[in-house]
Amino acid sequence: MSTDTIKINVPVLARVEGEGALDLTIENRQITDLKLRIYEPPRYFEKFLEGRNYYDVPDTVARICGICPVAYQMSASRAIESIFGITVTPWIRAMRRVFYCGEWLQSHSLHIHLLAAPDFLGYNSVIEMSAQYGDEVRRGLKLQALGNELIALFGARSVHPVGVKIGGFSRAPDQSKVDELLPRITAAKQDAVDLIHWLETLELPDDKQDFVSVALHHDDEYPLNEGRLISDSGLDIPISEFENHFKETHVNHSTALHCLFDGKPYLVGPLARLNLNADQLPEEVKAVMQSLKTRFPSKNMFHSIIARAIEIHFALVEAERLLSSYQPTEEPCMSFEAKAGTGYGCTEAPRGFLWHRYDMDENGCVSKAVIVPPTSQNQPRIEQDLKDSLISFGLDNEKHDLQLHAEKVIRNYDPCISCATHFLNLKLMRDGVVENAERTQAITTFKNIDLNRAAIIGIGSPNAGDKLGWRMVDLLLQNNTMASLQQQGLSLLKLDRPGIALAEHIKRYDHVLIIDAMESGNATASFVSIDASQLPSSTSQISSHEVGVIESAALLASLQQLPEQLVIIGIADCSNENMKKIVSMYL
Amino acid sequence: MSHNKPAIAVHKFSSCDGCQLALLNLGESLLTLSSMVDILHFAEAGPVDENAKVDIAIIEGSISTTDDIERINRIRDNSTLVMTIGACATAGGLQALRNMADTQQWIADIYANPAVIKSLEKSTAIKKHIKVDLELWGCPVSKREIVNAIRALLFGVLPEEKNEKICMECKRQQNMCVMVTKNEPCMGPVTRTGCGALCPSVGRDCYGCYGPAENPNTQAMANRLEGLGLIKDEVARRFLFINNGAEAFHRQGMHSRETE
Repeated sequence: MSTDTIKINVPVLARVEGEGALDLTIENRQITDLKLRIYEPPRYFEKFLEGRNYYDVPDTVARICGICPVAYQMSASRAIESIFGITVTPWIRAMRRVFYCGEWLQSHSLHIHLLAAPDFLGYNSVIEMSAQYGDEVRRGLKLQALGNELIALFGARSVHPVGVKIGGFSRAPDQSKVDELLPRITAAKQDAVDLIHWLETLELPDDKQDFVSVALHHDDEYPLNEGRLISDSGLDIPISEFENHFKETHVNHSTALHCLFDGKPYLVGPLARLNLNADQLPEEVKAVMQSLKTRFPSKNMFHSIIARAIEIHFALVEAERLLSSYQPTEEPCMSFEAKAGTGYGCTEAPRGFLWHRYDMDENGCVSKAVIVPPTSQNQPRIEQDLKDSLISFGLDNEKHDLQLHAEKVIRNYDPCISCATHFLNLKLMRDGVVENAERTQAITTFKNIDLNRAAIIGIGSPNAGDKLGWRMVDLLLQNNTMASLQQQGLSLLKLDRPGIALAEHIKRYDHVLIIDAMESGNATASFVSIDASQLPSSTSQISSHEVGVIESAALLASLQQLPEQLVIIGIADCSNENMKKIVSMYL
Repeated sequence: MSHNKPAIAVHKFSSCDGCQLALLNLGESLLTLSSMVDILHFAEAGPVDENAKVDIAIIEGSISTTDDIERINRIRDNSTLVMTIGACATAGGLQALRNMADTQQWIADIYANPAVIKSLEKSTAIKKHIKVDLELWGCPVSKREIVNAIRALLFGVLPEEKNEKICMECKRQQNMCVMVTKNEPCMGPVTRTGCGALCPSVGRDCYGCYGPAENPNTQAMANRLEGLGLIKDEVARRFLFINNGAEAFHRQGMHSRETE
């Protein structure tokens, strides 16, 4: 087998097959195509908002994301308040910062401990990881819980909090609740510092890349609820000019719109914020940063996890500062009159800035809404990063390692949580042939079919070393599941190098599983599977001297004579493990 | 398939992920839970085995694509009990608002190339497609409710259904009635309990995110809202909000809108 063409197709989102995926094509050791496909079913929020009164907006936009509802509520409130001419009191401004700190604390802790750290430490989940790293996991869950409590302090609950109104909050938190929380916030600062130092001990890849960071910037503080948009390429604009420089476009492979800055990908999120705003951090946080070996600004995306932990520390220091002289107010919400107009809101969500624009009519109802979430901004950057980092990681790496590395790269951006989960599938295409590795969810299974129309065919030859297909059939015959399937009509056959006569042999069946020996020259897997329906309908790679199973199948495909299901399994050894895989995946 | 411990799967459909957070936010209790059950599929917490056979399948999100329909049927086949969590799974969610709109036009308004967007005309509750054994309402579902439900199921009993009105809970908390004292358009009198009467407890109106209570007198509610000065279209929007797909709310909302 030559290695000219490698195609990796990796559904990213564990939640729905095919809804989110990474398509990667490698030809001649070059990446020729790379698409991060996001197929979150569209939910049309911008449309739901049309005709809604301003007071419904915070509760509506919260539902866009259960992980960062505060961000959505804050961007929307700021936009609508700018239309109504509302300037909030210093109390409301400060408490909104505390509220937002709660969300950063919650979201960042969740990301680091439940999603990222298990990856770097080689575990499948935080649950597995907790056996070995119990203290670290507990510390993380504690920080996460504290973040949730901070949100609930103002919003009564942490997911879709109910305390936010246009103009402020429904009610000021009781003094007693703040008094109870404050010492715990102070105590948690040390946890955050320990967390940062612990993350520095992880082996993070050294992968510097060229990218542009964009974030809010405020002269007096680390950005949360307000500021100008700046970049390390010289951008410095009010948020109202966002649309002059940033354009959302629809690419066919995603239901999330892609956003570009002057036509190019860019980064938003903790690393971008820290790269642009480290000087705005409180001295206490700066001092911790001084003690680190990781330096910022950084062009290594893997430093995102450190940046996230530094922001956890910042959120605690900031919440402590703002709550230390807390007093309830009589005026938690401004009074105002609704007006018509256009307004903009931009705040720093945990994963990057979140930009809203609203056109309101004279009745205080939304006539048009535009929402640009951080993940759609980062998506083109993720694609660019994957190209660069997979090349520097080495395209010759085995597919499982390529997959893990791609997962880690994507996770650096903390795309909305579902996207950040473990990959479900790995499909690898060599020579136009889709190979499936271990974690594959077979698209084609032989479950719930008429077994009288189904066959498993082992292919081999009397030559030494070319009997694997036959021997696998023998092994399958000893399997209990197989015995009962045979009784229900399933056929098991062995064929000697059928060549193009394969068509004749399989025409009696609707469902065919072919087992053949696989040359393992460069293949690192001992088991690959190929869904014949995914073969290209024509292939130029049929060798002149021999027509193998793949070529026969490709020929059938191009003649549109494939059975309903035809799966070809290549095995490098006739192990029990491979036998079990076949049974569990297909039968 | 045999398990020493009950097996659980958590599946996501069209949603904001907020209800799964009810589990992820359990903290220490999540680790305890994972020692009591085998969590075979919970993509957001790590384990991925979408086709695992389980004792309890927990479903978040609404059905909104053709792939969803196939997948939810597969889950039903693989699960002894199916429990929906949250407004999306139980009533179609906020996104069911599209059921009353011209979805194709919306797609055309948002996406440059509408032809590639795969989406059903409607966003529907899980029970419209398969048999559902247990429903937990709420947007989001509360931690307490989900833990109670799983705990009850582990004891081998169905959890008690709490479907009384928010007002009952609100009175027990001795909140000041926001409708009586502040003329807030509170949906508490028709909304099911479970949240802990959060909105009135922070001094604002309930907006019905837990869905209809038992025997909700929605017409009397609508009359009262009109009495507070809401025009019919605003009354309709009170019902056609987070749980617009729930039958009692949908019927009243459409009625208020049509009689405008």
